[in-house]
Amino acid sequence: MSHVLEYVTAGMASIMEDNVSKLFIHEEFTMWNFLSRTNNRGYGNESVLINLCWLLGLLVRYCLLLPLRLIILTFAFPLFYISLSFIGRFPEGRFKRWLYSKLCTFNSKILASSLTLVATHHNMENTPKSGLAVANHTSPFDPLLLTTHSCYDIVGQNHGGLMGLCLQMLSKGSHHIWFERTDPEDRNRVVKLMKDRISNSDLPPILLFPEGVCVNNTSVLQFKKGVFEFATTVHPIAVRYDGRFANAFWGQESISKYCLNLLTSWALVCDIWYLPPMTRRPEESATEFADRVKAKIAMAGGMLDLDWDGYLVNHPFKKEKLMQQQWEFARHLQQDEAQEDNQQLPTIKKKKRKNKSFEYNRVHS
Amino acid sequence: MGNKSSLMLQEQDIRDIQSETGFLPSQIERLYSRFTSLDKGDNGTLSREDFLRIPELAINPLGDRIVHAFFKESEDDHPLNPLPKPSEDDHVNFRQFVRVLAHFRPIKRTQDNKLNAREEKLHFAFKMYDLDDDERISREELLAVLHMMVGENISDDQLNSIAERTILEADKDGDQMISFEEFCCALERTDVEQKMSIKFLK
Repeated sequence: MSHVLEYVTAGMASIMEDNVSKLFIHEEFTMWNFLSRTNNRGYGNESVLINLCWLLGLLVRYCLLLPLRLIILTFAFPLFYISLSFIGRFPEGRFKRWLYSKLCTFNSKILASSLTLVATHHNMENTPKSGLAVANHTSPFDPLLLTTHSCYDIVGQNHGGLMGLCLQMLSKGSHHIWFERTDPEDRNRVVKLMKDRISNSDLPPILLFPEGVCVNNTSVLQFKKGVFEFATTVHPIAVRYDGRFANAFWGQESISKYCLNLLTSWALVCDIWYLPPMTRRPEESATEFADRVKAKIAMAGGMLDLDWDGYLVNHPFKKEKLMQQQWEFARHLQQDEAQEDNQQLPTIKKKKRKNKSFEYNRVHS
Repeated sequence: MGNKSSLMLQEQDIRDIQSETGFLPSQIERLYSRFTSLDKGDNGTLSREDFLRIPELAINPLGDRIVHAFFKESEDDHPLNPLPKPSEDDHVNFRQFVRVLAHFRPIKRTQDNKLNAREEKLHFAFKMYDLDDDERISREELLAVLHMMVGENISDDQLNSIAERTILEADKDGDQMISFEEFCCALERTDVEQKMSIKFLK
């Protein structure tokens, strides 16, 4: 009868803090830092000197850095607009692609400098020239980081408003794929487009974020297996932000608030690892392949590799996981019973259950 | 630099909760933060859906029973506690939330343990089985909980025999039901303190 204890305790522990919901709030730091806005702990009780330093930092960020960055943006946006309109006039072909790749990195660098991007690219020899690139997703500006080094065609959710305008502008220069997640028909169109693109080695690589949602960069959630079904070779890229300088995670707040946060942060410091291309093995299923790629990315970036589906937080859970729990417990119970039977104890006064460290796996790693 | 939600938890509330549960103020604030993040409707209370939205709880075979414990707790009489009312329809407020979690505080020899004493912990475990809240675990209830935990993976016959055996061993007064005292006896050798304790972060 003591079985119930472990389940109950595990359930309570998950109420207190669970591994999945935690990923959708900002990363928490153990120590105070000059940014401190994302900590739930509220460091208002630290010493006066620290408060003063923080206040000073705040002034510098809002009164010095923000205006400078806004000035850069006032040049960057028109430049972006003009260059893409210019490219848009050319007919499709090798020259247009070459022009786009040059102007794309140029513009990205200027835009990224408005965020003070300090990106360290590792293993640049693995940069994909064509095919499919996958990366973990933290911020809507992830593609911006990656295009400062090399040019990609992005696959992403369509947006309205200012973002939507930018996406349309980008489409003038190259064939990005924008889809509508809520439309089930759209999926087929996207899949077909991607299949055609991947096999063509002249075209720039496609950039895709298989997690489907922005996660707070401490872990990598389950990759959606869709694209791994037809893509046999992928180029994994791991992106890890340094949260002490800026909080890059987009927690579904309004984009303008998010941009303001970024523009008033110290800098956007990140590490990007380009991993060698991975090919699907003949006996591997799409899910296994996706998991393997995910594990590689998580390891390269120093993040936790989690098995949860990012959509679970907003949508009902999958019964399979529950059934698996039940199966494992049943097996345990049967082993217990078999052991008791074998021992043939005639009068069992007190049931002495050996504590078989029943590890209730909260994280399948 | 504190976040908005901590303003809604008054100093006095924190002190009350501290004396009732033994949690430190920093732990209470952290729990409050968690409470508000679970409260998607932003109305200061949690519903069953709010709990079951936690993926790890949703796949826990005893998830429903655990959530039920929160709502049941709110109906119990606490004569020493100035808290009024049973909770209205299926909503748990922060005090009730913390009170239930307090059962899982580790036992400290030096402190006065009210809610997290061994007996309280055992009573909580007892309530997991006691589906109709009559302070007795019948064979049907035991079977039902076992069924929740194993799903379809063990045959009904085998489950029956397991339940029979359990009752046989634990039942002292021969009424074919397990009372709370019998339950405690059966788990006498189990390290309840360790199994039912969670380290609460500060």
